[in-house]
Amino acid sequence: MITPDHIFDERLSFEQKALQVFEHQRLNNPVYNRFTNALDIKDPASLSDIPLLPIEAFKDAKIVTSSNNSTLNTQHSTLYFQSSGTSGMARSRHYIQDPDLYRKSILKGMQTFYDLEEYVIWAYTPGYSSNPHSSLIWMLKTLIEKEESGLSKFLELGEPISKSELLEIRRSGKKLMLFGAAFGLLDILDKYPIQLPEDSVILETGGMKTHRREITKEQLHEKLAEGFGLAETQIHSEYGMTELLSQAYAQGSLWFQCVPWMKVSIRDPKYPIKEKPLGEEGLIGVVDLANLNSCSFILIGDKGIQREDGAFQVLGRWNPQNLRGCNFLIEQD
Amino acid sequence: MESTEFTRLQFLDRAGLNTIKTHIDNLTKVIIKWLDPGNPNLQTAIRKTVSEDLFSEQDIRHQLSVLRKNADNGDIREWVNRAGLSDQQNAKGKKVLCLHAGNLPLVGFQTALGVILSGADYYGKISRKDPYLLPSFLDEVKRSGIDQNISFSTDIDSFKDLKADKAIFAGSEESVSDVKAEIKRLKAAKRGADYIIRTAKFSIAYLSDWNKQVKEELVEAMLRYGGKGCRSVAVVVAPFGLNEIREDLKQAINSCWKRNPQHQEPTPDLKYQYAYNEGIQRNQLWMDDFLIQNSEELPETDFTVNWIKGNKDKIRDLRVSFGQKVQSVYTCEEVIEGIDTEPLGMAQSPPLYWKPDGMDVIKNLI
Repeated sequence: MITPDHIFDERLSFEQKALQVFEHQRLNNPVYNRFTNALDIKDPASLSDIPLLPIEAFKDAKIVTSSNNSTLNTQHSTLYFQSSGTSGMARSRHYIQDPDLYRKSILKGMQTFYDLEEYVIWAYTPGYSSNPHSSLIWMLKTLIEKEESGLSKFLELGEPISKSELLEIRRSGKKLMLFGAAFGLLDILDKYPIQLPEDSVILETGGMKTHRREITKEQLHEKLAEGFGLAETQIHSEYGMTELLSQAYAQGSLWFQCVPWMKVSIRDPKYPIKEKPLGEEGLIGVVDLANLNSCSFILIGDKGIQREDGAFQVLGRWNPQNLRGCNFLIEQD
Repeated sequence: MESTEFTRLQFLDRAGLNTIKTHIDNLTKVIIKWLDPGNPNLQTAIRKTVSEDLFSEQDIRHQLSVLRKNADNGDIREWVNRAGLSDQQNAKGKKVLCLHAGNLPLVGFQTALGVILSGADYYGKISRKDPYLLPSFLDEVKRSGIDQNISFSTDIDSFKDLKADKAIFAGSEESVSDVKAEIKRLKAAKRGADYIIRTAKFSIAYLSDWNKQVKEELVEAMLRYGGKGCRSVAVVVAPFGLNEIREDLKQAINSCWKRNPQHQEPTPDLKYQYAYNEGIQRNQLWMDDFLIQNSEELPETDFTVNWIKGNKDKIRDLRVSFGQKVQSVYTCEEVIEGIDTEPLGMAQSPPLYWKPDGMDVIKNLI
């Protein structure tokens, strides 16, 4: 049986591991089992043949993989992540049976892209106590706890960044990594403009649509770079969500790279089992092996595009272009 | 563009030539002549449409039979009266550009007829998905010697520099900006032209009862044209659940398909949706080429109907939440306070004067 250690074992190919996880989840995840049976897919020959479960499943059902009694496991699982949303709105819920697996994915994932020893982590986000079910806040808490200088922390929202604390980071010989949602970081610039040390990294975690008006990712990065006095190469992005236990990172560009145990493909919205050719827009599909205890094969509702080296861009939410009914379309009519 | 030469007849002239009455009588005669089963031009258009696999013959025949009934019922005169079209109030001299969609056969007929009835000059971008049927009617109108410009083409570039006073088309959030940009690029509409954009995408049925008639009417309302019209039922609200009538409905669908085979196959994402429903154990009726599922979400995909167990309050809520995407709410003669309704049996057999998006095209033009 595949274990968490296998997930991070680089001696095994991604495809080998994915096919093993598929078999494990097909047999032990009731939702995925019924889904794959209905599609008549039991024995995929390759990674691209594995069907991706639409992400809404995390709203509509309990997505749990367990060789034991799954009901019992979710009842006893005290940790779960829940997507944000307004009251009355259905939210995704991701049950975490093995928090260590997520912790390992966070730390190993970050280390793939950054030398964590070099950074003090600041999070301009709500704190953990008010958001115990946010996967992002849990991730930031993990990074903050792991950092040993004692300078890492959640910042107070609505408060200015302290210049003396920035100096303290400098004196410690470390660099600043500032996490925040797009709108929060822009708010700091509006209210308390400050220049950060030039070797600082800003890691924006999305959430652009909630800011006064929708702006493009390029505009956001330009504003952040200019506002904080950094080169645009210092403005990075994180692509993660409640339903995933791994993240992708874009370092100074709009192209995201995955951690080694996660792969993205671009799927045909009209035939999600099929991958779109490189360079064509489609639905983002994710294989996240760290989701060992839920579902690793997920069709995300985001529009994306991919290049040859596997890097991908997120182009916003996917809107069906051919909504039913009368609709004059230049290309078709 | 096929607007080559027109025999200019007189439209309205107080000096004593034609009046609005003559205009209507002439157009009624044109329609009746065009719809005559012996009309070789129409038969050719049907044959070509079927042979190129654009629509099923059954769907075309159904559409034509509805139009025949409309003409026989005096719908044209009724429409003119309702719109208030008169010798004094008409759209003579206005240039109207119509961009016709092609999701079902002759979907542009009502708009084209409305524009011509109004007295306006008609410029029609004919859908490449329905290139023969509407032109066969427009040719008949031209042959009648009408005193209006009747021009049409499947190529939008033909309308370059037209500078129309109004442009009419059906669109969605995603498509409207592209269409407007193209019109602007071509100067097909004048600066400040009035745009009439239709946004309705589907209709809702409220079933208070379940009997043979309701069942047959519902199946026709859901399946005719593959459910692709904005008058097609994509959401059903009923006080009984899908599971209670599943087998009965399944038989009715199969029986309907024997008479009217579904013309198009759905794309594979429909099976994906079925598999997803199986996964999350959502109640559904899977018919291989059509899916009826328990869901309160916006019905976005073709060949899918969402079934909701609920009462009249639920209909009112949905009417608000789905907003302008809803064309009509049908009932089995029930009245729902605060909502305009139509009989379910009229879903695919509307009168000529039905209002897409609640708007009368003639009234809007005059």
